[in-house]
Amino acid sequence: MRYALYLGCTIQSEQFGYEASVRETLPRLGVELADMEGVSCCGFPALNSVSKLGWHYLSARNLAIAENMGLAVLPLCNGCHLSFVETKHALEKDPELKNVINMNLDKEGLSYRGDVRVVHLLEALHDEVGTQKISEEVVKPLEGMKIASHPGCHAIRPSDLQKVDDAENPRKLDDLVRALGAETFDYPEKIDCCGSQLALTSGRVTLRIAGEKLQAVKSYGFDGLVTTCPFCFKMYDGRQRAIKAALKDDSLSLPVFYYTQLLGLALGLEPARLGLQMNRSPVDGLVKSVLE
Amino acid sequence: MRTQAGELVSLQVRRKRVKCLSPEINETEVRFISRMLTRLVGEMNATVCEQCGKCSSACPVSKMIEGFNPRRLIAKVSLGKIDELLRGDAIWTCTACLKCRERCPEDVSPYDVILILRNLAYRAGYGYPAGYDDFIEGVIGRGFISEPQAVRTRDGWKVSRGDLGLPEVSGPGDMAQFSAVVKGIIKAGRQG
Amino acid sequence: MMDKPVLVIGGGVAGIQAALDLADRGLNVHLVEKSPSIGGVMAQLDKTFPTMDCSICILAPKMIECSRHPNITIHTLSQVKEVTGRQGDFDVKVLKEPRYVDESRCTGCGLCSEKCPTRVSDGWQKGLTERKAIYVMFPQAVPLVAKIDSEHCLYFQKGVCQVCSRVCPAGAIDYTQQPEEISLNVSSIIVATGIQELDPSYIGEYGYGRFKDVVTSLEFERLVCASGPTGGHLDRPSDGRHADRIAFVQCVGSRSHKNGYPYCSSVCCMYATKEAVLIKEHDPGSEVTIFYMDLKVYGQGFQQFVDRAKLHWGVEYVRGRPGEIRRNPITGDLVVWYEDTITGDVYEKTVDLVVLCTTLIARPENKELADVLGLKLDEWGFFKSRDPVRGHIETDVPGVFVCGCCHGPRDIPESVAEASAGAAYAAEVSRRCTP
Repeated sequence: MRYALYLGCTIQSEQFGYEASVRETLPRLGVELADMEGVSCCGFPALNSVSKLGWHYLSARNLAIAENMGLAVLPLCNGCHLSFVETKHALEKDPELKNVINMNLDKEGLSYRGDVRVVHLLEALHDEVGTQKISEEVVKPLEGMKIASHPGCHAIRPSDLQKVDDAENPRKLDDLVRALGAETFDYPEKIDCCGSQLALTSGRVTLRIAGEKLQAVKSYGFDGLVTTCPFCFKMYDGRQRAIKAALKDDSLSLPVFYYTQLLGLALGLEPARLGLQMNRSPVDGLVKSVLE
Repeated sequence: MRTQAGELVSLQVRRKRVKCLSPEINETEVRFISRMLTRLVGEMNATVCEQCGKCSSACPVSKMIEGFNPRRLIAKVSLGKIDELLRGDAIWTCTACLKCRERCPEDVSPYDVILILRNLAYRAGYGYPAGYDDFIEGVIGRGFISEPQAVRTRDGWKVSRGDLGLPEVSGPGDMAQFSAVVKGIIKAGRQG
Repeated sequence: MMDKPVLVIGGGVAGIQAALDLADRGLNVHLVEKSPSIGGVMAQLDKTFPTMDCSICILAPKMIECSRHPNITIHTLSQVKEVTGRQGDFDVKVLKEPRYVDESRCTGCGLCSEKCPTRVSDGWQKGLTERKAIYVMFPQAVPLVAKIDSEHCLYFQKGVCQVCSRVCPAGAIDYTQQPEEISLNVSSIIVATGIQELDPSYIGEYGYGRFKDVVTSLEFERLVCASGPTGGHLDRPSDGRHADRIAFVQCVGSRSHKNGYPYCSSVCCMYATKEAVLIKEHDPGSEVTIFYMDLKVYGQGFQQFVDRAKLHWGVEYVRGRPGEIRRNPITGDLVVWYEDTITGDVYEKTVDLVVLCTTLIARPENKELADVLGLKLDEWGFFKSRDPVRGHIETDVPGVFVCGCCHGPRDIPESVAEASAGAAYAAEVSRRCTP
């Protein structure tokens, strides 16, 4: 299995802990990652609001680069995944739009055909590598840990374009968590949004939306939260202190991980190589108990 | 049975004043706008909306912010009150969670309508939230929203891409060409 | 010379009414029913609207009358497989499945079921409880004769057991029964095959299938019926806790162009009100809320029925289709998120039980029957009438008539009226073709 690894803005500029954990773990599961040259932002979250055409252009040029490489593209960010899937669909449905995009791509020496496959990290790990293979490779199972799965909005919606997982009852991230030896169960707020996009206009409300979900997850007895999106991660992990202050809840404290970070720990890799030093939430306790 | 939120927050979006630009009408842009408008009124089927309330009761923002209600927004669209929406703050308050699109029984998708309204508001020169500027300028200037930075760890140290053994980032090869193309697509057709 | 008999396909209330009307006129009727007993969906209901009559209490006498009427021959476990000929002279082949119990000897005593060791999910009780591999469909079944479910019976699957034949006091068990083909010659055919409920599992946001306390309306009818699995106590399927707070969700799967049926299912506003009143009658202290889009209650006495539910019984009506239903993993409570579209506020409501008023959809057997009879189906699988205004009971095939829910959702009063209309048409055909 070989994919063109598309990082996107947020991961490569600040959430590179996620990138590190992906680069460490996926090759050990037989997944080859090829770096992409000449890529740009995918256009989410601000570009699509001011110019849909510009948004489709940006996504299309990245897809064109992957097409040139002859590989399926693996975007690590849910937002990038949404951009690619929407663009692929829009350009397929509307040949005139595709034409306009290609006319502009031509100025950059690129061309978009439309046959590139877009694979979400959950699909790569769950469907293509498989939970069986993952559990076989686990050397330090996450025994006794209850981890809440947060697939994130754009991994599961919209279900009419590319069904990564069931939109109302997503199971793949749960299965992947269980493959690491950890426990997980369904909870009502699982498919709720982290509120990131709202941060551009109403920061206070965003903190409340995210905070209420964290409070709920904590109340069900989970030891940690896992996600595959840098926006969600940044909200729950990076802004956890701000959330605590906004909700006036000092007891609100929950370890938040990228799935590949937990995967790396279970595979016996060093925390520093998985970017775990960059998590702002209190992850040390959980990390320690895995390593013992 | 009140909302979990308790007090409802009223909308107040910080707007950026938009400077007057000479209207460069780009044929491509005009066709794209008219297609978006057609989608809004026709294909988007805002008039098919039965005002059932599934979208608003699924919406995470609706539960928290008074003045944001996707059902009411669609009602305004089908009544033709588009200018009011373009000037208002509501359209910028959607968090793009896509629950409304997923659940609408008539395939109306308030999210898609909101996206089109945002595009139209930008073109009409009604402005957009201040936060968007950095993102847009970043993309046009660098190809990405932001540049790689050294990030502070939990223990207070700073770590950069290189420290984790990660490769340098690769942006658009011909930055000037990229900037010109993207600028051309985004800025074209903006009215003062 | 005897008039030719009439064939009535389907033994629900419409088929029963048509059969009785024809029989009382002196015509012979063959009533063909697919399941082990006649009665149909109406037998599964607790009460009917708007009169709040006990459903089986008003249906059973008619069922018995059918079985005793000298002019009616009931063929249960039977399906029409082939039809040739024309109005006045239809040749019909009916295939009768073996019951493995001799109908002439069985007294319906139930001893066989008592002793049978095999438990199977009871479809008639909507899967809420179990029955045995040899069973009588329900207490008021007509005929009141047991049937062996050969797919689960130990004798048919593994060649062992045979306890039923040992304990049967009437010696009615007969494992050697074979499918039987019956040939009939009839003057006209009335189709009254009825309807079924949509399975709302695919509507993920409502949690049907994931949460045991989210039930469909027919499941609710069984829960609240004295002959149901809980003896009529409204106990939650998940933990047996009494349900004090109930929510009804209207238009589940209907009035949806996306992932559903665009039509209105016709009876749900009324039956939800009926069910709400039922709950309040049992327990006036309970909290009952109906989440609706529109209240489609245009029949005679219907609006007053709803007004009474609101004013006298205190049933709460909220205009807003719920966005999602959640289940608290700790308390087991269900939470309904909705917008009261009249005030414009979004709320959540904690309840014990949610009843989904799901769309009534066409039975899958309609396809085969339509081919056999040469009838057309509409885009949702319902039989097509000749003309919606002027030929509502007639079809494009002269001598074949449709009545009841087989051509679209409708309530019992309408189905019964259509059945009588069908019987009148059939009687006229019979009169005209008799020399």
